[in-house]
Amino acid sequence: MRYADFISFTYTSLRAQRLRSVLTALGIAVGIAAVILLTSIGEGLHRFVIAEFTQFGTNIITVSPGRVQTHGASLGAVNTVRPLSIDDALALRRAPYVQLSDPLVQGNAEVVHGGKSRRVTLYGVGADFARAVQMRVASGEFLPPDDPRGARAFVVLGSKVARELFGADNPLGSRIRAGGERYRVIGVMQSKGQVLGFDLDDTVFIPVGRALEMFNRESLQEIHVVYEPTAPLSEVEAGIKRILGARHGAEDFTVTPQQKMLEVFGTVLDAITFAVAAIGGISLVVGGVGILTILTIAVAERTSEIGLLRAIGATRRGILSLFLGEAALLAVLGGTAGLALGWGGALALHFVLPALPVHTPWLYALLAELLALAVGLAAGVMPARRAALLDPLEAMRSE
Amino acid sequence: MRLSDLLEFAWRVLRCSLPRTLLILLAMGIGVAAVVLVTALGEGARLYVANQFGSLGSNLVIVLPGRSETAGAMPGVLIGKTPRDLTLEDALALKRSHAIRRFAPLIIGAGEVRAGARSRETPVLGSTAELAEIRHMDMAQGRFLPEGDPRHSQPVCVLGTKVASELFGTRAALGEWVRIGDRRFRVIGIMAKQGESLGSNTDELVIVPLAAAQALFNTESLFRVLVEAKSRERIADAKADVEEIIRARHEGERDVTVITQDAVLATFDRILNALTLTVASIAAISLAVAGILIMNVMLIAVTQRRREIGLLKALGATGRQIRLAFFTEAMLLASGGAVAGLAAGELGRSIIAQLYPAIPFQAPWWALAAAPATALFTAVLFTVAPARRAAMLDPVQALSRR
Repeated sequence: MRYADFISFTYTSLRAQRLRSVLTALGIAVGIAAVILLTSIGEGLHRFVIAEFTQFGTNIITVSPGRVQTHGASLGAVNTVRPLSIDDALALRRAPYVQLSDPLVQGNAEVVHGGKSRRVTLYGVGADFARAVQMRVASGEFLPPDDPRGARAFVVLGSKVARELFGADNPLGSRIRAGGERYRVIGVMQSKGQVLGFDLDDTVFIPVGRALEMFNRESLQEIHVVYEPTAPLSEVEAGIKRILGARHGAEDFTVTPQQKMLEVFGTVLDAITFAVAAIGGISLVVGGVGILTILTIAVAERTSEIGLLRAIGATRRGILSLFLGEAALLAVLGGTAGLALGWGGALALHFVLPALPVHTPWLYALLAELLALAVGLAAGVMPARRAALLDPLEAMRSE
Repeated sequence: MRLSDLLEFAWRVLRCSLPRTLLILLAMGIGVAAVVLVTALGEGARLYVANQFGSLGSNLVIVLPGRSETAGAMPGVLIGKTPRDLTLEDALALKRSHAIRRFAPLIIGAGEVRAGARSRETPVLGSTAELAEIRHMDMAQGRFLPEGDPRHSQPVCVLGTKVASELFGTRAALGEWVRIGDRRFRVIGIMAKQGESLGSNTDELVIVPLAAAQALFNTESLFRVLVEAKSRERIADAKADVEEIIRARHEGERDVTVITQDAVLATFDRILNALTLTVASIAAISLAVAGILIMNVMLIAVTQRRREIGLLKALGATGRQIRLAFFTEAMLLASGGAVAGLAAGELGRSIIAQLYPAIPFQAPWWALAAAPATALFTAVLFTVAPARRAAMLDPVQALSRR
């Protein structure tokens, strides 16, 4: 049979039973649409998480005390027999490729101003903190580069704290009490919003040395190290380990590059996306069973037609490929419709819920389309074989 | 038509086209099995978490320093410091409450434990003798920390099994000395193997008396206080008492967070239930696809059986009866598929349960009811159009055309 004949024959037989073909393709379409929609949400979530992290920059390494990791965070951040000191943070500036390093200790304290008080997250940081995590000051300035061991009592407010304590007044220059000590406000941060459950606007920033005194502890929680973006990560890590190892006499700290964390998150999210897509793919299988059923019925109905075709010289191969072609065409049509449906659904979802990040991964879309084709072909094999094996004489007599 | 006639009629129709019937059963079965299996996984995870929480102790109230006014962050992950510590004296003051049976203050940190030439970084937990009863800890050898005034400590420690085996190998650890940081402790007990529980592994833990941990980490500040209420009904009283006692001690300032185990468990429960429901509805999409298939096949059947339907109508069957016949057929298909699916789902569940015996996989009752119900509902819904078409057939035309 010629190629053009083959196509027109398949097309005509699908058109002759239009409702039936549409319903069969619809089964596949629903499956593909589910897969596309779910992977779109998964991929959107993935990108969202990555964006949340990378807004602090990607070339950050976190150094925390202690070696054993539980809960994904080092226990050394709570208590440790091997403290990380401010001097350690200063020493890390000498490591190769390192642009800046910033000590950090975090806690919870009450800030009071003029009769209003609020419990907030308090960060003890160095002067480079804002630069390290790419946060901007809305008014005033960030903490000045004092000697971190004896810094002046300045405080920078998060935007929410400034609003709650001062309302519409300008907080710059006024004094507040934080954790029982007096501080002068020298800056207000730009609003950053919630990042992974933490409200970064409900915070105040004070010099790290003062925070350590306030909390009466000797160890930093972590040190942020920012390196040159083009530098090789392994060498930066090795440099940090060499300097701190020499200072402590042993490797009693944990070095976590931001990129490693991103990779872990990426792997987890990809696995979840894949699992959900697979559950959605069950409907694709059911759609495949639908094709199988309909083709089985079609073969039974068109027995005499098949007999005629064989009698006038169509080969077994020809008949086989005709039915396989029909199955594949149904699947591909359904798949394309499902692609459009899923994509449209994702866009509509994004329109209705702008907060929900949605992104259609085209690789998945292509895979889904190929999967639909494969399902169609697999479903077509049995009925097509049955059609091809029909005896022409018997088939023609069945009418 | 009588019900038994109706059933017999539908049964014969289904028997006559066996391959078609089996394929539809397969499609419905896959859908139902998927829903059952997926909800079993979700429910298993939920029960597992609930059990884990149960093994943490019962009637627990947890006190942690610091308080945040913006909700959102889980209170359990609050690890920051506060200007006014939660101290041992605060914890001891809790004895005043009548609703509290016992309590255990905790200090946790990372420490290096050495025995001879071997050393290992482990979490070090400072606590009191009550911890063993609150957390239901079992000892493999020796005994737990001694009772006594928590302000004074003896240089003793209790090791987790993994720590003991890594530091001492096959030698007996009991009675040996270990160094933690720059202090020496005598091993007086080894905990029974407990394994992973909610991310914290007691097998890798070293427990020392509270005062020793205070000295070791040079801190007065407690990490948590675990409080056990006298009974389930008194948890709320215990929580209120804790808040009141500590507020009075902290100059009227509320700077601690008090959470109950039930509240944490309820949060987990809600999250996991929502997750199970979502995943189950994704799996249920396949039931809709199966429904489309039923509709397609029924439409074909209407065309093929036009003469038969015409004859029935000519013999006096009403449109209502024809419709009923089609619905019966669909219901039979759906319930057959549902039974097959439930069986397949149960089979899959027991296979997975064999592979992961630790997790109690169990499809929840609502899924076992909802999956077949959804199957029946979609089947009926998608049969409406074919049944209508069949009922509207004009008997004369249906019989006259070949």
